[in-house]
Parts: sequence; structure tokens; C-alpha cells
Amino acid sequence: MTDHGYTQGRSHIWTSDTIRDIHAKAELGRYQIRGFSTFRQFPSWDDLVFLPAVMTRLPLEGYREHCETRTIIGGGKPDLVARPLELDIPIYLTSMSFGALGTNAKIALGKGFSAAGSASSTGEGGMLEEERAASTKLIYQMTPSRYGLDLEHLRKADAIEIALGQGAKPGTGGLLLGMKVSEKVAKMRTLPMGVDQRSCVRHPDFLGADDLQVKIIELREATDYQVPIFLKLAACRVEYDVKVACKTGCDAILLDGTEGATAAAPEYQLDNCGIPLIAAVRTARRAIEDLGMSGKIQLVVSGGIRNGVDVAKCLALGADAVAIGTSALIALGCNSPQYLDDYAALGTAPGACHHCHTGRCPVGITTQDPELEKRIDPEVGGERVAKFLRATMMECTGVAKSVGKRNVHNLEPEDLRATSLEASAFTGVPLAGVEWTVGPQYLGGR
Amino acid sequence: MSQSATAELVLDADDGHRLNRRMRDAIDAGTREIRVVNPRSRHNLGVGQHGPGTIRFDGSVGYYCGGLNNGAEIIVSRSAGWGTGEAMSSGRIEIGGTCALGTGASMRGGTIVVRGNCGPRTAANMKGGTLIVEGAVGYLAGFMTHAGDLIVCGDAGEALGDSLWAGNIWVAGKIAGLGADAVVVEPTDEESARIHGLLAAEGIDGTFTFKKVVAERKLWYFDARDPEAWLKV
Ligand SMILES: Cc1cc2nc3c(=O)[nH]c(=O)nc-3n(C[C@H](O)[C@H](O)[C@H](O)COP(=O)(O)O)c2cc1C
Ligand code: SF4
Repeated sequence: MTDHGYTQGRSHIWTSDTIRDIHAKAELGRYQIRGFSTFRQFPSWDDLVFLPAVMTRLPLEGYREHCETRTIIGGGKPDLVARPLELDIPIYLTSMSFGALGTNAKIALGKGFSAAGSASSTGEGGMLEEERAASTKLIYQMTPSRYGLDLEHLRKADAIEIALGQGAKPGTGGLLLGMKVSEKVAKMRTLPMGVDQRSCVRHPDFLGADDLQVKIIELREATDYQVPIFLKLAACRVEYDVKVACKTGCDAILLDGTEGATAAAPEYQLDNCGIPLIAAVRTARRAIEDLGMSGKIQLVVSGGIRNGVDVAKCLALGADAVAIGTSALIALGCNSPQYLDDYAALGTAPGACHHCHTGRCPVGITTQDPELEKRIDPEVGGERVAKFLRATMMECTGVAKSVGKRNVHNLEPEDLRATSLEASAFTGVPLAGVEWTVGPQYLGGR
Repeated sequence: MSQSATAELVLDADDGHRLNRRMRDAIDAGTREIRVVNPRSRHNLGVGQHGPGTIRFDGSVGYYCGGLNNGAEIIVSRSAGWGTGEAMSSGRIEIGGTCALGTGASMRGGTIVVRGNCGPRTAANMKGGTLIVEGAVGYLAGFMTHAGDLIVCGDAGEALGDSLWAGNIWVAGKIAGLGADAVVVEPTDEESARIHGLLAAEGIDGTFTFKKVVAERKLWYFDARDPEAWLKV
């Protein structure tokens, strides 16, 4: 098969992709940057299956009985958080900046998640007025670059997320190529128009966990102890990172697996840094439990979550909620088969596009080009996103009911079996059929 | 909590419960002068305040004093810890002694005056306003400063102005080393007069010969400006 003029030969080392990559670097003199997520193949959620009720459990009537989905994040410390984030479903929108996304996409996502009784998030670029207006609940993300950080915006937020890492590119800062640094984006970020914005990775006024503890209190003082404060971490040294995060006094931890997407990241980061979410959830839950913080600090997970069954699997392994990015963008129309010439101009096609970094998104989502942006109608887009969330929750509650749960938060590791050795080792879930768990004893291994 | 206006409200930080809230309420009620005694280097004093009004701390303060300030005047008689005036959008902060790391980090407007020295990362990610340091600044001062003026009457440490965006750094003393993409340029007479005017407004007299540090702009762009170059991946 030829790809960009290359044919895959017999070498597994010098594949056509590797050869093409070296040729590009030799021409450009820099590493490759792209959007979307890792192209590596990891054990996935498909390597876990649910065990519905048969003789030893009673299933719920799928079409008649109710399965509760209400989710509260930041409700564990009533003396510190007056308004926890209350969601109708255990899914909210991950932080995706205005800048990476266009205005219409932001509005559509806000509308869609609001219609589903959930929340959206600003991302790194500051609070867009249109997004605030479109979102019933909006999380304000504070990144090291602090673009557009404003006291009044913090006070208008329903939660504050301090970004310390992103699964797609842990240990590095934001990246927004000049094609997207439009006048509006430049103004919000106080940047010269058209620069290739490479953000810092360290926060300017705290370095370690002790300082962060003080910083969290500062944010509480500034916002009058109203809203919860989350920390977003990339999944790396999960046990220790989560324990230290708990000690900072935050209200929730968002753990982003290496499958997490990006609008632009160095490809070497995307494919080589951080660990898959499936390997992180159980360890994170155990870390919180070890400190006796379950119920006080919520665990939210993200990265590569595609459908309602993935959501249910995350909850079963110990997450209190999940956050999604790519699947919401796909619901909005990402990679949909329209405007074929524009995909072709990027050298790609519907289903294969990963070109968010170029600012020339064929469907008008990850762009600042006013003409391309018109391809997203916020009303229609919002409805699509809301319908996708409804379908996702039907899957999530459907599988939970078949397992016999009246509340999706009652799903547990015992409801799962692994169909691969790796999935068993990563999750501590027994292998299907043999009831034998690969991996460390603390996760159930024997 | 509703409060009535007084000529000067005196708060004791030893009785610190919701101190910031009490200050905000007092200003909303019309009080224009607040004095806080016994700050004892406590963290998060004077956070999220607004104007109009002046808050004076008799002593030293800890981290994030005047953080997210939105219009208040905050005067600290002695020294301050990390992140003084971080993300301030307007108002004025004056520190009588020294400041530690990250003074004025990501501030967007207003003025900060430090009578002594500042630690590292002064004005990191600053996005506007004026930050005047009468003494010296530590390493990485002006790191990724987007806009505004960092004025240093004394010396500057290593890596000054690393990865600058469009901010200006003015140094009267010695510069231990410039950061990546920072260059020294000759200020014009009008620019020097403007900076001396800012100093005079803060009661800092004297004629300084400032070196102006700006971005060389080599880090503003990846080498390739050709959009096609991004399609090879
Ligand atoms: C277009 C786009 C923009 C993003 N912008 C940000 C951002 O501003 N801040 C951040 O922490 N993460 C950002 N991310 C990462 C997401 O917050 C999240 O970690 C990731 O998308 C989760 O994985 P998923 O997309 O597979 O659900 C962005 C991702 C995408 C796709
Ligand atoms: S269709 Fe748009 S949003 Fe989807 S991958 Fe391509 S550029 Fe990104």
C-alpha cells in the first residue's frame, strides 16, 4: 500500500512511516508537531468485559428501572466548598482552549454539555464570554502561562482546574502555532499576533506541592470558598503523584492518560511519554484510599474515552467521573465525510485527519479562520453533542443495569474480567474464565 | 456580613478568620483605610481585593500578598514572600522591604513597587502594568514577559528576559546574563524620560542610565513560516 508516495516494505524497523518521518526531519530541521493523540497501540478498554447478572445477581429492567447517574465533584469538603460541581451525568468536557478551538465550536460544546446537565471547561486560553454564556457550568482552567487570568473570571467559574500536566504531552507546556494566533486569540493571551506560541511548563509562582498548597488557599480566598479546585495531572508516576496531589488540599484530581488528545504537540511526546489510562485508574484510586481520602477528593479520569461502556469501565475501576475531549469533537463533526477537498489539501481524508495543529480544520472546529468556522452552527453542533452524550449515557447505564447496579457509581472492579494478560496486569482484574489475576498482589494478583 | 464605613478600620491578623472577606466587605461599605496589625508573614493576605481603598500591613507578609488584586492599594511596611501581586489587574502594591520569588507573576495591570530586592522569576509571564524594583532582581526575571515594564534600579541575575514576548525590561545596574532570545537595545530619549517619569511618580529620584532588554524575536517562530511545512507529519 502506498502512503504519501511511500510503500510499506518488509522491514519492521525501517517502516515506510519511519522513513517518511526521517525524510521530513531532514528537510525541516525540527521535530514533527501534530494534533490528535498517540498513534501507539496500547491495551485498551476493549481488553476488559463486564460480567452481567446471571444466577448470582439480579439485573435491572433495562427500559424501565432507573439507574442513577448524578455526580458530585468537590462535595467532600463542605467547609471549604460552598458550591460543589453537581452534574447530571458522570461525564464533563475536558479543557480545550479557545485558540485551539474556534468560537463556534466552543459555543456548541458549551450548549451540548449544558443540555446534558453537565459542564464544560475553558482550557488554557482564558474565559471566552460566548462560552461562559453558552455553558450552564463552566470550569476555569489555570495553566502555567496564565493567559487572560482575571479575578472576575475565576469568580464566574463553577470550578477551577490548575493544570500541572496533560496526558498527550506531560512535562511540556501548551503549543499553539501562529496560524491560530488570530487577532482575537492574541488579544486574549496578550501575545503578538501570529507568533508560534510555546507556553511555559512551570507555574510562575509555585514550584512544589508545599507552595501549591498555599496557592490553593489563595484561590479559595479570592473566590470566597465557593467552588471546588481540581488539579489536572498527566498519568506518570501515578501512585506518588496522586498522593502528593491529595496533600495539596485540592478537591478533585483529573488524571489524563497518555491517550489524551491535543491540538498540537511534539510527536515524540505524544508517542513516548506517560502511561495509558487503563494502567492508571486503579492505582490512582488505591493511592487516594491509602490516604483515607476517598469521598473527600474525587478522581476524574480522561484520555481516549470513546463511549458509554468505556465510561462504565473507568467508573468500575475507581473513577468518580470522566472527562472527554476527542469523542465530543467527533460528535461535533471532526473527521466527518464532508468538504473532502479541504481534507485532501491537508494531505488527509475523513477518518484519518489529525491536523488540528494547522488551523485549517476542514469541518471548522479547530480553526480561527472565519470562513472555516462558519461550518459549525452552534445550535446544530450543540444538539449533536447533547445527543451523543445521551447515547453515551444510555450505554453506560445500560451496561450498569445489566450488571445489576442502581447507580453507575456502584460499579466496581469485581464487575469486570480481563481478556488479555496486559489488561489484567494493569488493572488487577482477573483474567476471564480462569479467575487468575496477573500482576501485583495489592491489585488482587496471585 | 455588612459593615459600616469607618475612617480607618484596624484588623488584627492574629484573629485571621476570613480576613480577606472582611477587608472586601469594609471597602464595599465605604471604608477607605484599612490597617492590618500582626501580619507575622502569614500567607494569602490582601488576596482578591478591589478598590477604592488602601490596605496597610504593619510588618511582613507571606506568599501571594495582593494576589489577584483588582484595584486596591496595598502597602506592606516590611518584606513579602512568593507571588506578591500575582495576576493583579489594577491597583498599586508597595513593599517596603524585599520580595521573594515570582513578584508580579502574570500581572496584567497596575503598579508594584518594591523598595528592596526581589528574588527569582520577578515579572514572569507579566502581561501588563509596571513593576519597579529599587534594588536587584534574581535569576529569570522577566521570563516570558508578554507586555508591560519591569524596571530594575539595581542589578539583574542570570537569564534575564528569557523567552520574552513583547514586554520591556529596564536595568540600571549590572546584568549577570541574558536569557534565551533577550537582547539589550539602546532606549530612545523619550523612552528614558517615560521610565524616569514612572519612577518619579513613585518617589524615586535620581538619574539612571537604563539598559533596555527586549526580545530578539528568534523564539517567536519556528524556523519554517511556510504553512505547508506543517503538513508533513
Ligand atoms: C483541541 C484540543 C485542545 C486542547 N486544549 C487543552 C488545553 O487548553 N489545556 C489542557 O490542559 N488540555 C488541553 N487539551 C487536552 C484535553 O484537555 C484532554 O486532556 C484530552 O483531550 C483528553 O483526551 P480525549 O481527547 O481522548 O478525551 C486539548 C485537547 C484537544 C483535542
Ligand atoms: S477534522 Fe478538524 S478537529 Fe478533527 S482532526 Fe481534523 S483538524 Fe482536528
